[in-house]
Amino acid sequence: MDIYLPIAEVSVNWPLLVMLGALVGFVSGLFGIGGGFLMAPVLVFLGIPPTVAVASQASHVVASSTSGVIRYSGMKAVDYRIGGIMAVGGALGALAGVELFRYLRLLGQADLVVSLSYLLFLGSIGGMMLYESLTQILHRVRGETPPRKERRRPMWLYGLPFRMRFPRSGLYISAIPPFGLGVFAGILSAIMGVGGGFILVPAMLYVLRMKASVVVGTSLFQIIITTAITTVLQAGRNQTVDIVLSTILLLGGVVGAQYGARLSGRFRAEEMRAALGLIVLLVGIQMGLELFVRPSDLFLLAPGVAD
Amino acid sequence: MFQVLPPEPPPQIAAPEIIIERSAATTEEVRVAAALTDARVDVDSGFRGASIVLYGAVFNPTDTPADVVVVVRGPDAPVRLVKKARNMGVWLNSRPVLFEGAPGFYMTASTRPLSDIADFGQLRRLGVGVDHLRIDAPEEARTVTRYGVRDVVVSRLGEDYLDWRRAVIRLKEAAALYDTDPKGVEFVDRGLFRAEVKLPAVAPTGKYYAEVWLFQEGAPVSVSNLTLTVEKVGLERDIYEFAHRRPWSYGVLCVILAAMTGYAASRVFRSR
Repeated sequence: MDIYLPIAEVSVNWPLLVMLGALVGFVSGLFGIGGGFLMAPVLVFLGIPPTVAVASQASHVVASSTSGVIRYSGMKAVDYRIGGIMAVGGALGALAGVELFRYLRLLGQADLVVSLSYLLFLGSIGGMMLYESLTQILHRVRGETPPRKERRRPMWLYGLPFRMRFPRSGLYISAIPPFGLGVFAGILSAIMGVGGGFILVPAMLYVLRMKASVVVGTSLFQIIITTAITTVLQAGRNQTVDIVLSTILLLGGVVGAQYGARLSGRFRAEEMRAALGLIVLLVGIQMGLELFVRPSDLFLLAPGVAD
Repeated sequence: MFQVLPPEPPPQIAAPEIIIERSAATTEEVRVAAALTDARVDVDSGFRGASIVLYGAVFNPTDTPADVVVVVRGPDAPVRLVKKARNMGVWLNSRPVLFEGAPGFYMTASTRPLSDIADFGQLRRLGVGVDHLRIDAPEEARTVTRYGVRDVVVSRLGEDYLDWRRAVIRLKEAAALYDTDPKGVEFVDRGLFRAEVKLPAVAPTGKYYAEVWLFQEGAPVSVSNLTLTVEKVGLERDIYEFAHRRPWSYGVLCVILAAMTGYAASRVFRSR
């Protein structure tokens, strides 16, 4: 049941990979995220070189996000206008990110930066989500009314130039913040091999204060564009995309995503957020841990030169 | 002492490269000859590593016992490695250090531990044994800049050279790319021996060279050279070549494939 991956140059058990793809797809459909942050650590654990794992799973994210956007688009829950602006930013961010990743890899510091970004972004966002949703759940259990939240948008969103109307999101704001958000997600997409949904969704909700109903669909739309560009760039510049690996992953992924999406209606929003927050936090800690644990061998082979 | 040259053999008709086998006798009587069961290893989608049997014969009319040592070397490639160091509680990587060339695969199999067969100097001269294999390093440390990154090239005379060298060997041994088997050469019958060459799935593709040495009283008396080719074949090769020759079209194809799969899945599930 093993298959040899031509670019990764290792042989892996393919039913295991299909199952992994299905599982990550399921989580991704359930929570409306790309799920890349779960996939990369597991692939690395299975012995696939981190650079190949990060680059190949980006196309898995393309597949699961495409099927997500089609579904949300049918529900008129995608704001293509703001998504398009974010995607342009994402494209530029991905360009910069792939170059940055290439440089870090040659420097031998890519794994450090990857662990650090996982620890920093996943740790803080997971922690925040968990905290916020747990307080909500506590309030509900005690039968208290939740405290009213500050619903005002930050003023600087209005002070910036290039204001545009985004009717579907119910916004009339400058184009700069969504653009900047796109750039940031693009860089993360190249370095961490993730779509960046776990950053985009909270930022769109709490900073831009978009209409909650369009947030997930729009973020998935922007993720497709960004990860598609990342995949092409990683293939063109670094030759680290393994088409066999990504095909196996996405076969399971698209099926899992559909079942996940169907199940997502059955749970309360804050319970879902608590669960997602916990997963995100654990992955972040797990990835960051290697910065503090004494490595079993002080020396490490660094990639480069030959490729 | 010249002998009358035998008539020239008829030109061989396109003998496949793989059969090339030269046995050179350094003395007239004692001789070793060897061959591989497979001189070509195909890496396809089912590749999980390979095991090749090397078999051979020793012609030894003398009374002195002879030892057989099999050395297999994979294609040379530069090796870069980093060392982790603790810095304010966090483990960080050092600047990459570069060896100009180390075999991508290296194994020895012998009838006895190498140190019993020949002395240090002899093994070092022949480059036999992981402790003696040649890893290219210049005499002076220098830095090279590749793609804007400065690498330190390891110097053969540097004080930490041995640490780095040992690390390369240890890491390659952990990946099953380097191996020493002091009992790897088995005599199945008088004068007839066999040894196994185990290639892991991560073995690099390219040309491998096998040397079969015959030692008597600590000195090499005969050697036989063989070659082995490891290459990707079929779909595996096509994908690899496509990804490296036309990387941009390959990337676009990957994305289209992914988007199509996503689209197809959503159609299939909607219709249900």
